[in-house]
Amino acid sequence: MLMEVKSQIKATHLSIKYALQRELLNKFTFISNILFMIINNGCFIVQWIVLYSLKQNIGGYSFRQILLLWGLAAMTYGISRFFFKEAFNLSDIINSGKLDNYLIQPKNVLISCITSSVEISALGDILYGLIMLILYGLSVKNVILFLTCGILGSIVLTSISIIFSSLSFWFGRTEMVANTVDSLMTNFATYPEGIFKGIIKIMFYTCLPLGITTYIPVKLISNFSLPDLIFIIFGTFIFTSLAFIIFYFGLKRYSSTNLMNARI
Amino acid sequence: MKGVGSMAVITVKKLSKVFKVKVKEKGLKGSLKSIIKPKYNIIKAVKNISFSVDKGEIIAFIGPNGAGKSTSIKMMTGILFPDNGTIDILGLDPSKDRKRLAYSIGCVFGQKEQLWTHLTPYDNFKFFGAIYDIPESIVEKKIEELRELFELEEFINTPVRNLSLGQRIRCEIVASLIHEPKILFLDEPTIGLDPVVKEKIRTLIKRMNKEYKTTVVLTSHDISDIEKLCKRVIIVNKGQIVLDDTMDNLKYHYLNKKIIDVKMKEKVNLDDVEGINILKDKDYNLKLEVDLKKKTISDAINLLNIDNIIDINISNIPLEEIISQIYKDGDK
Repeated sequence: MLMEVKSQIKATHLSIKYALQRELLNKFTFISNILFMIINNGCFIVQWIVLYSLKQNIGGYSFRQILLLWGLAAMTYGISRFFFKEAFNLSDIINSGKLDNYLIQPKNVLISCITSSVEISALGDILYGLIMLILYGLSVKNVILFLTCGILGSIVLTSISIIFSSLSFWFGRTEMVANTVDSLMTNFATYPEGIFKGIIKIMFYTCLPLGITTYIPVKLISNFSLPDLIFIIFGTFIFTSLAFIIFYFGLKRYSSTNLMNARI
Repeated sequence: MKGVGSMAVITVKKLSKVFKVKVKEKGLKGSLKSIIKPKYNIIKAVKNISFSVDKGEIIAFIGPNGAGKSTSIKMMTGILFPDNGTIDILGLDPSKDRKRLAYSIGCVFGQKEQLWTHLTPYDNFKFFGAIYDIPESIVEKKIEELRELFELEEFINTPVRNLSLGQRIRCEIVASLIHEPKILFLDEPTIGLDPVVKEKIRTLIKRMNKEYKTTVVLTSHDISDIEKLCKRVIIVNKGQIVLDDTMDNLKYHYLNKKIIDVKMKEKVNLDDVEGINILKDKDYNLKLEVDLKKKTISDAINLLNIDNIIDINISNIPLEEIISQIYKDGDK
């Protein structure tokens, strides 16, 4: 078991390394994608500066907490898109029969598939997340908690995409559903929790688990509490397990295709 | 059924697979209708097929498009789950032991590339070595060995995207051999290649089979691949096995016909002779098809009159024709 995990990590590391190598072939695109992503994210903070000049507290958040919220949202988004990019194209991969290559290898199909390419602009999100953390306040505790929550949150984001994309095994083209859920997760993650009420708030702790990816982490970094940390870890475990169970259950219905394709 | 015995490395019993395909009527109206009240076609891609393959055999697994050969191979390699029946590959069930089985089999799909195109073949082979948990020193040795066998020297350090199709297919085969698989599944490995490269690939497959005793299951629409490589052929049509026989039996007994090309001194009339079909009659040249069940070759030559013959060539019916006939018979 331990050997298997070690071997999977080695294969995943190589896969990500080679995928990154592919993106580095065009240095200008590589650097400009990262820079423009940071600038793009930075523009949104301007509107919050304006809003906070009018009001000191929005949805229960101070301006520093907004910086933290944006940092966490960018970090979870960045890590998930950089390391698990193909989880966000999974519906298309299933429908076009591109799982064949991973199924004939002695490795975990889902992990091999989702880590087979990287999104370079996501490095811009990761850097932006770190800049926001610096602006919020650097400390050993903050860095550890920020990175832990960023990694766990990205795993949850990826799991949500896998769950909705795996519906393609049953219903064909479900990328619209997966993309919509993905967009909702990304967009809502940049607003303070306090402005949402009722059913939307319930959704944040069920089908759109922003509670786990951003809201509880903001609370946790602002004011550490062990139960919150345990809740985040437990929630991540549940969503990850669900993603694996649904994907592997659906895989039995995989129908492949004879379409020509290449690993480019 | 051939190949049943203690040496069998592949045993397939009563294998079936059904696909449910949505039927759409023409136009926008049809598309809207299919959303409200979808209709499905049940396609029986593989119907109850059974066969086994012995260690070291090179078998052709062929059939027309949509016959069910790729579906069968995908079930044998663990890509697809069967609906019914059992598959035993080297003592493992592909649907339950996919990962363990992957260490012992290799696959090359002519239509689907496994190699990273921005990397060199050498880096790709190292990647596949890691995928199959082979220690680096052993991978190096294996690459060296396969580099010689498959003559990769010239381009082993050139990015895959800059290789010709033939070179790329050679690298695909090498990548699938890095972990020394006991069985190699080759799904149309020579698709799109020119005749010289095809011949090279065939020679290499033969050499590999001889050197490593690798069992090979080959699908191809190129009859020359099958004729030159395989001693046994399984023909699948409409999801069923319509023939499982040795290549010799297929060639010499299945249709029992010979072709005679003859140049005559004087014209001979063979119209309405039972067992002889005139394929071409131009000037003093005749091309005849002799049905050996009704006429022997010597009877046919006697009819032509041996003193009247300037030149003669007797050949078998081209394998391509025999196989096309079997496909057509299967369609009836």
